[in-house]
Amino acid sequence: MAGAFGFKGCQKIRGPQIRKLLEAKDFILFDCDGVIWHGETAITGAAKVVSSLIRHGKNVVFVTNNCTRPRENYVHKFYRLGFTDVMLEQIFSSSYCSALYLRDVVKVRGQVFVMGCDGMRRELEEAGISCVEEADEPGATIYDCALAPDVKAVLVGHDDKLTFLKLAKASCYLRDPDCLFLATDNDPWHPLSGGRILPGSGSLTAALEVSSGRKATVIGKPSRFMFECISSQFRGVDPAQCLMIGDRLEVDMLFGSNCGFDTMLTLTGVSQLEEAQEYKDSELTDKHRLVPDYVVDSIADFLSAFEEQEDQEEQSN
Amino acid sequence: MSGSKCTRLSGALVKQVLDSVDCVLFDCDGVIWRGDQAVPGAPQVINLLKEKGKKVFFVTNNSTKTSKMYVHKLSTLGFKASEGEVFGTAYCSAMYLKTVCGLEGKVYLIGSDAMRDELEAVGIQQTGVGPDHVSGKPSDWANVPLDPDVKAVVVGFDEHFSFMKVNRAMQYLTQPGCLFVGTNRDTRLPLEGGKAVPGTGCLLQAVEMAAQRQAQTVGKPNHFMFDCVASKFDVDPARCLMVGDRLDTDIMLGSNCGLKTLLTLTGVSTVAEAEAHQKSGCAERQGMVPDYYVESIADLLPALQG
Repeated sequence: MAGAFGFKGCQKIRGPQIRKLLEAKDFILFDCDGVIWHGETAITGAAKVVSSLIRHGKNVVFVTNNCTRPRENYVHKFYRLGFTDVMLEQIFSSSYCSALYLRDVVKVRGQVFVMGCDGMRRELEEAGISCVEEADEPGATIYDCALAPDVKAVLVGHDDKLTFLKLAKASCYLRDPDCLFLATDNDPWHPLSGGRILPGSGSLTAALEVSSGRKATVIGKPSRFMFECISSQFRGVDPAQCLMIGDRLEVDMLFGSNCGFDTMLTLTGVSQLEEAQEYKDSELTDKHRLVPDYVVDSIADFLSAFEEQEDQEEQSN
Repeated sequence: MSGSKCTRLSGALVKQVLDSVDCVLFDCDGVIWRGDQAVPGAPQVINLLKEKGKKVFFVTNNSTKTSKMYVHKLSTLGFKASEGEVFGTAYCSAMYLKTVCGLEGKVYLIGSDAMRDELEAVGIQQTGVGPDHVSGKPSDWANVPLDPDVKAVVVGFDEHFSFMKVNRAMQYLTQPGCLFVGTNRDTRLPLEGGKAVPGTGCLLQAVEMAAQRQAQTVGKPNHFMFDCVASKFDVDPARCLMVGDRLDTDIMLGSNCGLKTLLTLTGVSTVAEAEAHQKSGCAERQGMVPDYYVESIADLLPALQG
């Protein structure tokens, strides 16, 4: 399907080609924002596509850098937006995977200082990981505040309650070289519906990298770790059987390349086709890893592939 | 003098170097004071230099004080100084916006009251100073009302730094033609007891990352701070000495402007770091190699008193 030697074709495909592609893949990985929904609105046809894939026996998983909700809340959101057959086990968020990393890879003993949101703290607590108490004493400053003992990791993510004091405390904890430095993701900004944006985890991570002089280990896409979580839950997944569908070249397509998947860009989100073409034409070969194999206008384009398949199945009955 | 850099300044060489300059520029933190204590001997050095007819200036990346506030601190610690001799980044950023950018319009400011005061002193209004917490939902934050008069975002040290401030700055910076200025990129201020205070460089990087734009910085090592001095006083770079404790800001500024440079070891950088830059063979790093170094600026006293 993908070109030889990892060449990424950036090829727009429709009905019959989509069907052929899906026949060859067992595992379909979807990004969420800009792919299956915008904010609180499902993309037209997306719920039906997901449902059809599941009915056709595909493994469908959702891989999102959005760390603001615990997985239970994601299940509710899926249901609310009409994706009624999505279960907890299919959802992989950067906060859930950060908890897995701390619990299973690092086997952290001691506390974690979270510069992030409730969604992140809840995932960590679900995994049995102890977090430093969030509230600061009123009027405390970095000059006189207490620092928690035994902090073994700092985790940065989306933090709308960011204060200078939190940034200062995190920097102090990171002076200990044995204290880990993790980030849920490196996205500089996150899109909301209507073309609006908000500062991303990448922005706060950058501040902390400057003050600590250290580089964060990034859990979310485009790092491979979220795929390792998926693979370990499904007891081994062959990358050649995977198709990654996303809307951000620098995040989703690069993630797919890093894991050895075929990749598909949907144009309902952040990245434009022209940007993909620019990366394809770039003299820097690194940039070619951001180019998708395939492009669709929307994942609703899959519906025509299913309809043809269903027509054929009816005819043969 | 090429090849003979990073020389310890002592003995007869001190008088020789001081006689070869008419003007001495001092960084403050780690050079003439540490926190709220003068470096021993520093006030006498500055006062004697002035008595001997040298021009003395104070050039600091710290954006939390106005020139007036600096003069107050200087006098309290025993240094003779007047407002015109002090060049902090609050003052220099305001001058940069006024004279280089020709800014007409308001500033969205992430910074201190001192920065607000220096902006107002040159007739520039600002919005944003003080605490700014989130309320409402993410869609409210993304749709935060923007002041149509704002034509520049300026970032300095701000103890009220918050997500909402990064958000507002980012929203303004997506507008075409909005200027983006930072006071400096210092990464942190060391404190006693193993703590450290994140510097302006951290706050600036957060905004640059969110906005996917690079700020123009005013502070050392950018030459603008020396340009400010030179615009007010008649100085010959070849007869100026820059005294500082940081290789990447103070010494670099000196190199960029053709000044003589003196590293003092009462602050951040070490001789070992200077020598490492020198031996690196990397052209960019040579600007961080000082001409001379002393343990403390008090080492200049014997030559001044003699």
